[in-house]
Amino acid sequence: MPSKIDTSTDPQVGFRPPGALDAATALLPYAGRFGPRHAAHLLRRAGFGGAADEPARLASLGMNGAVDAMLHPPGLDAEFTDFPDSDVLFTQGKNRAAAQMWWLDRMLRTNRQLREKMTLFWHGHFATSINKVPAAQMVAQIDLFRTLGMGRFPALLSAVTTDPAMLIWLDNRYNAKAHPNENYAREVMELFALGLGNYTEDDIKEAARAFTGWTLDRGLQAQFVAARHDDGPKTVFGKTGNYNADDVIALIVAQPVHQRFLARKLLEFFVYSDPEPELIESAAQVYALSGFDIAKTVGTILRSNVFYSTRAYRALPKSPVEFAIGTLRYFGTATVPPNLPYQLARMGQEPLNPPSVKGWDGGPTWINTSTLLARFNFVNALVAQTAPGKNGQPAVSAPYVNPDALVGRVGMDAAKVAAALVGEAVQDDVTSDVRATLTGYLNSATPTAATQNPMPFGPENYQDKIRGALALTLNLPVNQLA
Amino acid sequence: MKRSTFVSSALSVAFLGGNASVALAQVAGASAPLPSFGANGDPDNVLVVVQMGGGNDGLNTVVPFADDNYHRVRPGIALAPASVLKLNDRIGFNPALKGLAALYHEGSVAVVQGVGYPNPNRSHFEATQIWETASPERPQQYGWLGRYLDRRFPAGSKPPLFEAVSLGDTLPAALVASHVEVPAIGTLGAFGYNAGRNLAEKQSAGVLYDGAKAGQSPYLTMIAQTARDAYHGGDTLRAQTATFTNKAAYPNNGFAQQLALAARLIGSSVGSKIVFVSLGSFDTHAGQRAQQDRLLGYLGDGLQAFYADLAAHGLDRKVMTLTFSEFGRRVAQNASNGTDHGTAMPLFVIGGGVKGGIYGEHPSLTDLDRGDLKFSTDFRSVYATVISRWLGRDPSAVLGGAYPAIAFV
Repeated sequence: MPSKIDTSTDPQVGFRPPGALDAATALLPYAGRFGPRHAAHLLRRAGFGGAADEPARLASLGMNGAVDAMLHPPGLDAEFTDFPDSDVLFTQGKNRAAAQMWWLDRMLRTNRQLREKMTLFWHGHFATSINKVPAAQMVAQIDLFRTLGMGRFPALLSAVTTDPAMLIWLDNRYNAKAHPNENYAREVMELFALGLGNYTEDDIKEAARAFTGWTLDRGLQAQFVAARHDDGPKTVFGKTGNYNADDVIALIVAQPVHQRFLARKLLEFFVYSDPEPELIESAAQVYALSGFDIAKTVGTILRSNVFYSTRAYRALPKSPVEFAIGTLRYFGTATVPPNLPYQLARMGQEPLNPPSVKGWDGGPTWINTSTLLARFNFVNALVAQTAPGKNGQPAVSAPYVNPDALVGRVGMDAAKVAAALVGEAVQDDVTSDVRATLTGYLNSATPTAATQNPMPFGPENYQDKIRGALALTLNLPVNQLA
Repeated sequence: MKRSTFVSSALSVAFLGGNASVALAQVAGASAPLPSFGANGDPDNVLVVVQMGGGNDGLNTVVPFADDNYHRVRPGIALAPASVLKLNDRIGFNPALKGLAALYHEGSVAVVQGVGYPNPNRSHFEATQIWETASPERPQQYGWLGRYLDRRFPAGSKPPLFEAVSLGDTLPAALVASHVEVPAIGTLGAFGYNAGRNLAEKQSAGVLYDGAKAGQSPYLTMIAQTARDAYHGGDTLRAQTATFTNKAAYPNNGFAQQLALAARLIGSSVGSKIVFVSLGSFDTHAGQRAQQDRLLGYLGDGLQAFYADLAAHGLDRKVMTLTFSEFGRRVAQNASNGTDHGTAMPLFVIGGGVKGGIYGEHPSLTDLDRGDLKFSTDFRSVYATVISRWLGRDPSAVLGGAYPAIAFV
């Protein structure tokens, strides 16, 4: 039995950051300086980002305090209404959009960013699409990821196995003793837990027999129908017994390659692309020692030397959802623009609609000319607008961009405005010529759309100019990196 | 600072002013004499794929008007024999396809009948995935055209940015490739950095992207390069397509406008070789006649204008158009004068390089599989023919198996 991770179809291979890994200390707790740049890095990876002042606030907690705040957020979460009542879209029959907006709203406003980030991770991992599954079942699956996504993996996999959306998506609802359907058994091994090459076709056939009996009633609730279950002996990974679904899940996660498989996926999501085998091995040990506990494993990663190393800093492209939600969180808006699902589709990541059973490939596949233009023009449109009100109501007072506040803080000074923007939006991760270009833009005598006024930066044009400078800043290549 | 070749050459020429259009064409090699047409694929051959989304009813597209069973099971939606544009004494086009019929009578349309695959899927989503990835048995990450592009341009080579394009806001599964980028172009105007009318802001963005430094992360280098391509690509596209004038009157609908843009991308120095266009709403569960006839009219009239345009530019023999739909529809109509999801259907291959005629067997209307037509031609045979005889590549590497070629080219 081979036990290697097959990386032949991983597009992130080749995007490992340069430099050497210190494998012995990589996952030990980081004890260095923890400033706003470190906190902003943590916010981008363990969440979606924050408002301009949030990195400094998080940094004041220290590294352990900041990670604790992400893992175990104090206080109550924001209030959310449940799908389908969450939005007028549902009453208009737009269930798909209602479900997408319901989730995007949660990502934007939750105080539990890491939990929502893990929910997004599992959505990509157990990629299920609203193109085949009704909206209500998709929403229930996202809720399942939210509830169990930071617990123990075997419990999560067990719940996913009998989740109505998954029973529909991979056809296990039709898997019965009289007519086995191997679709789910195959994807559990290939995509969810082991990876290609770490099982045999016979393992799939036998495991599929163990998954028989789980189907849906007329209300699309999961039900176990004993008459449809094959209760005879099955042989999986060389062991034989009258296995049911949970028995096979236990056998799968007990395969040593599973630890490395999941460790690698977590490292590629949180740390950097194409992690070294030594780093995967260390993270696999952490995962195994934790008893397959996701929160503990992720917590160790978020506190680790490698996580705060310069090699991991700005070393992953933001996914479209990270980019869009991060931008809105940075603006401090509480409202999801109504066309965001469509905008995200153009950027290459429509929520609840992964492109295949493999989910989104991530890494370099997020970046092409069409998807970058979609990101740029999303920002360009946002900075020119006022945020919409909830449910089609006009906004009370929610501009996406507030030039008055910025000028109030730093004064009517182009160089200071440019410095403040690159400091707050991209943590000064720019060269001096970028600051000079932004300052030059603010001071340029070219007429702008609104004013047609060839004045240098000043009271007549600062509104337009600051919006433009902010768009330029958010559209910098470095801001496409998490 | 190093830009991709297409951007730097095109822009430097554009900055020369004067007779830029001629210079642009020379840069891209478009004014060189066309190589002779080869039977086994030519690197200059162009493929246009037309998606008829929603599941097009084949029996009311290529109508078996002489079959009594057709009229018996479709009392509310069958086409009268007198109205059908006859191809022979048994079948004929829906009269809405008069534009396509004109092309057919010029010998430029192959009708491939009864196209499908074993164990047909009747879900829009899954069947579309199957057609676009050419993989009925297993989900596939990359599309059939994406896999073709990956083989034509090995990893590390940099194909022209607009070698393959999708005309629409998002990329169809057919064009998802592992390392070849395929831009999705909604409209020429929308493909570009849009800072409103704020010229200073747009210019500053160009300065920032052109000056972006390579970083420690390999991603930063890649993103900076792609940002430059994206920023300049729209302007390049507009400049290059501006040198091409459509020489046919296209109907005023979205599909025909897509074809007009396709002609500009193919015929200008942009030189696109694969273009994906789509025409939707064939999901005719109720009131089928009005809806399908309107869409088929768009299809036939649009393609007729497209080939008139291409012919006026001497390109009609270089461009092959292939239509597909995720499935055909049920043989018998339903109670709403519509049809439900079915299986096999005819598809069309169009172009001056196509051997026109009728290929494959028309499926029986009585020997059915659960009320649906049995397929006679595997759709992968159509793809294999296009890949081997038109695009000149080994189809088995792209399709993961060998499928017999069809004689339409």
